[in-house]
Amino acid sequence: MSHKLLSVQGICAGTEDKPILHDVSMELDSKETHVLMGPNGAGKSTLGRVIMGDPTYDVTSGGIVFDGEDITDQAADKRSLAGIFLSYQAPVEVPGVPLYSYLRTITQKRPELKMTARKFRNRVGEIAEQLDMDSSFLTRELNVGFSGGEKKKIEMLQLLLLRPKLAILDETDSGLDVDALSVVSRGIEAYRSECDGALLIITHNTRILERLTVDRTHVMVQGRLVAEGPGSLIDDIDAHGFVQFERASEDGGAA
Amino acid sequence: MADTKPAAGSVTLERVNTPPAQTWNYLRTNDITLTVPFASRKGDVYFALPRLFEGMECGMGQQVTDWVESQSADAHYVEVRAGQKRTEPIVVTSMDTGVMVRAGAEATVVIATNNEGVLAAGRSVLSPASSAASKAKRGLSESADKTEGSAASTQHSTSAALVRIIAERDARVHVLEFVCANDERQHIESVGITADARARVDVRQFFLGAATTAAGLCCSLDGADARFELTCRYLGRDDERLDINHVVRMRGRNGRTDIRESGVLDGRARKALRATIDLVHGSSGSEGAELENVLVLSDDVVNKTMPVILCDEDDVAGNHGATIGSVGPEQIGYLADRGLTQEEAEALYVRALFDEAVIAAPTPEVRATVLARATSVLGAEVARDLVEGLGLDSPAGEEA
Amino acid sequence: MSERTQKRSQVADVDRSLYDFTYSEEGYERYDDGLTPEIVRAISAKKDEPEWMLNMRLAALDTYHAKEMAPNWGPSIAGLDMDHISTYVSPRTNQAKNWDDVPDDIKNTFERLGIPEAERESLAGVGAQYDSEIVYHNMREDVAKSGVVYTTIEDALHDPEWEPVVRQYFGKLIPPADHKFAALHYAVWSGGSFVYVPAGVTVDYPLQSYFRLNAEGAGQFEHTLIIVEEGADLHFIEGCSAPKYYEANLHAGAVELFVKDGARLRYSTIENWSKNMYNLNTKRARVGADAKMEWVSGSFGSHVSYLYPTTILQGDRGQCEFTGITFAGATQDLDTGCKVILNGADTTASVDTKSISKDGGCNTFRSSVVVGRKAANARATVSCQSLMLDDISRSDTIPAMDVRNATANVGHEATIGRISDDTILYLMSRGCSEAEARTMVVGGFANPVSKELPLEYAVEMNNLIKLEMEGAIG
Repeated sequence: MSHKLLSVQGICAGTEDKPILHDVSMELDSKETHVLMGPNGAGKSTLGRVIMGDPTYDVTSGGIVFDGEDITDQAADKRSLAGIFLSYQAPVEVPGVPLYSYLRTITQKRPELKMTARKFRNRVGEIAEQLDMDSSFLTRELNVGFSGGEKKKIEMLQLLLLRPKLAILDETDSGLDVDALSVVSRGIEAYRSECDGALLIITHNTRILERLTVDRTHVMVQGRLVAEGPGSLIDDIDAHGFVQFERASEDGGAA
Repeated sequence: MADTKPAAGSVTLERVNTPPAQTWNYLRTNDITLTVPFASRKGDVYFALPRLFEGMECGMGQQVTDWVESQSADAHYVEVRAGQKRTEPIVVTSMDTGVMVRAGAEATVVIATNNEGVLAAGRSVLSPASSAASKAKRGLSESADKTEGSAASTQHSTSAALVRIIAERDARVHVLEFVCANDERQHIESVGITADARARVDVRQFFLGAATTAAGLCCSLDGADARFELTCRYLGRDDERLDINHVVRMRGRNGRTDIRESGVLDGRARKALRATIDLVHGSSGSEGAELENVLVLSDDVVNKTMPVILCDEDDVAGNHGATIGSVGPEQIGYLADRGLTQEEAEALYVRALFDEAVIAAPTPEVRATVLARATSVLGAEVARDLVEGLGLDSPAGEEA
Repeated sequence: MSERTQKRSQVADVDRSLYDFTYSEEGYERYDDGLTPEIVRAISAKKDEPEWMLNMRLAALDTYHAKEMAPNWGPSIAGLDMDHISTYVSPRTNQAKNWDDVPDDIKNTFERLGIPEAERESLAGVGAQYDSEIVYHNMREDVAKSGVVYTTIEDALHDPEWEPVVRQYFGKLIPPADHKFAALHYAVWSGGSFVYVPAGVTVDYPLQSYFRLNAEGAGQFEHTLIIVEEGADLHFIEGCSAPKYYEANLHAGAVELFVKDGARLRYSTIENWSKNMYNLNTKRARVGADAKMEWVSGSFGSHVSYLYPTTILQGDRGQCEFTGITFAGATQDLDTGCKVILNGADTTASVDTKSISKDGGCNTFRSSVVVGRKAANARATVSCQSLMLDDISRSDTIPAMDVRNATANVGHEATIGRISDDTILYLMSRGCSEAEARTMVVGGFANPVSKELPLEYAVEMNNLIKLEMEGAIG
């Protein structure tokens, strides 16, 4: 039933002045839930952004295959239309663009989601209700003046509306409060049950994972994937932190 | 060099201190026209600055540069060796001064003007007629201020300073300017600075008195990652006139400019302030900010402000802001709760200017200059208070 | 009269096809290029004007020849040669009250610009000017019954009831000696609108005048005179466009607005002159006590613009709101802004402008806020945001403030920047192409202006932005 969805193959990437990711490889099958963990500054968010196609980072070697297609050189919009979704820690504010018009525009870009304006309105209404969102949000400007929790709701709303094949949730360091946390959990649950998509969750907050069945766990330290294991690896990290991996990484570096 | 023919021994500097971009002429904000003394120097040899200072853009423009060079006795050149951290301030002693701060060096340049002219170690550079000192034969001292719109046609003597500073890469330059003259003085101060890569220039200006203060400063950030900070504090009262022109040319990549202007205007003071940040093509990654706060205490004040951003590059950020107004009712209310009347509250803002200037004064002579002005503006008692507050001993600073 | 064929030099510019279509002016009445007393007399005679108007024209012509342009002003108008501009071109048709009576080519022009449709749907009255003359003028009957007058100045001059009113107000706010092109305007003005709203009358729907300059190498010099009496309320919309030629066209209109005590006037403009147009327009409003002047201005077209609508807040508690956007693309040098003079006590002014520079276009924003001695407690804020879309364009911000009252409060803020890479990435990661993302952000940037416009004009403005951004109308 499931097939290979994402394959990151020996990626080295970084900015103009400094390399960040070193020979990162990762495989993710459709419908799987993976977790990427690691200490601050390990390069977890960078990996998320490189998969999304952020031009800030140059991929110097390696490649990315998504759903059978090499996307290494594709721009972010092509990757988005192919079915990758990245939820940002701090979504960008776009003044003057009402949320509703924005949602309509990005939905109409996808042939599989094209629908009449009336149907669309209903659909957005449903999701908003599901996320316990005030529908007055829709007339407000995209992410402008929203609280952190509200911005998260808007990200989840887009996730459920666009039904991507792979959702990358970048929650690292976000310091989500309890409310935001529950919004994200609810969004993930709905995505899992309705959209049947795969998930890559970047986090070091394990509470968000409590209600999820995690298929694989990856640990990143200093831009390298240093460990990979089943979901149960999370409990181990919970108990012992990243020190063991950091030490391993240093030893590896020295060797 | 003069277009018109004013009284013998003087010339008119037409429309000087102009910003790079101008507004409607009828607003009379674009420039100032000054009548200044002029003595022919035919037959004299002028010992000018090294050639590399030539053509440097100075705040008041080429006409003023030419005039100063025509009237100055000789130019004064100071060099700070590469890497040298010079702690002793370079006090400007000539009307025409050039300072070269070599790579990685640090220096402080001080331009202070009191009633006796541009100050340096107690020596007056430009002497007014009354004290008929060394330059009297040049006829510099006497001139009539008959500039447009000037109701008071009293005889104003003129002092002037032209200072050009080159900051090589990684240099740090501090510039301190104090104008503390009385209402019989017309003071002209034109400064030009260039900053190479990673150089940092900070300027603090205190324009605290003179019948007319015409001051221009232009800083060109030529190298990458250069920084420029300017703080200008001014006070205009009675019939004083202030005309200030600040220009920053941001040419190198990743430059930073931060300009803060603030002042208090009272009486029939007239002020025009022009501040221009020019983001030249090629200055990508640069940021420039400019802010002015003006406190207007009288309905007879004329306050003109022109904050300009010129932008020829997309990867830059420029912003400016200005607020002009009286002390807000909230502040007055708060200060009233602390026992101050409105007048006292307003006086507080004036005193604050002097407090800052006294603290910034780098030498006893300059401090004395500021305190002398404080005495005439705020009274001896407040001036003494300033001194005591700072733990200094000499009251009005005469002996400092 | 010179006769010309029009095909010669029209610029092929498919992207702007909505605006770039021309009709032959064969058979039109076209006066010789250049400026002579004979031409001025001919225009006046054609209009059968009162003597005072002819005298005013001739005096203005002298002023025009005597006045110099300030040497330190913004964009150059060296490409403008008055000896190659015909100041009067008239279609041989009478003013119609019914679109069916308008000649087909002219009617088609306005159909394509959507004017009759807008009139049916949302306007209280429409005037349409083609080259030098108004070809269509009509107003809803119920509005006419309330005493509102909406006609041309020429017609008002022939009406014994209104001629004295025109004489009382015409040229009083913008005197012919104001500047060189104001003088030119008064010498050769033709067409435009006269609006009179009686005291206490609220006109529920906007009136609109549309100005179309079809002829090549010609000038349009319409005069708009609006008087909103005490307590009355009006929204006036002005639209302008022209097809593109290589030869320079000139627009030197004048707009005089009298907003009496307690009245309100909103004046909205969507200007989309072609890129061979010198738009040297003068607009001025005098605002009474407790009255309000609202400007909404979208400037997209023209080669060079000098446009600074002025508001004089003469009465106490008068208000001025100015909302404007200027979009400068390739080959455009647009010098726009506004002036506010606060003379009354407790007056307020708020100016909010945006500018967008792209493909080497130049924007200059100029403003002046002058607070007079008697304007106790006056409040003024100016906010100016500029968006740079590439590194070959230019954006200058030159505000001036002159404050002469201690209780006044004047604030100014301006920012210049570009669209952040993060914003583009965010939108791209949700499936928008880079071009769509940029268009979306620019549309959002312009939103504060478009939301002040009636819906169909907001749509037109958004289409103009799309056109400028993507090079094709969506």
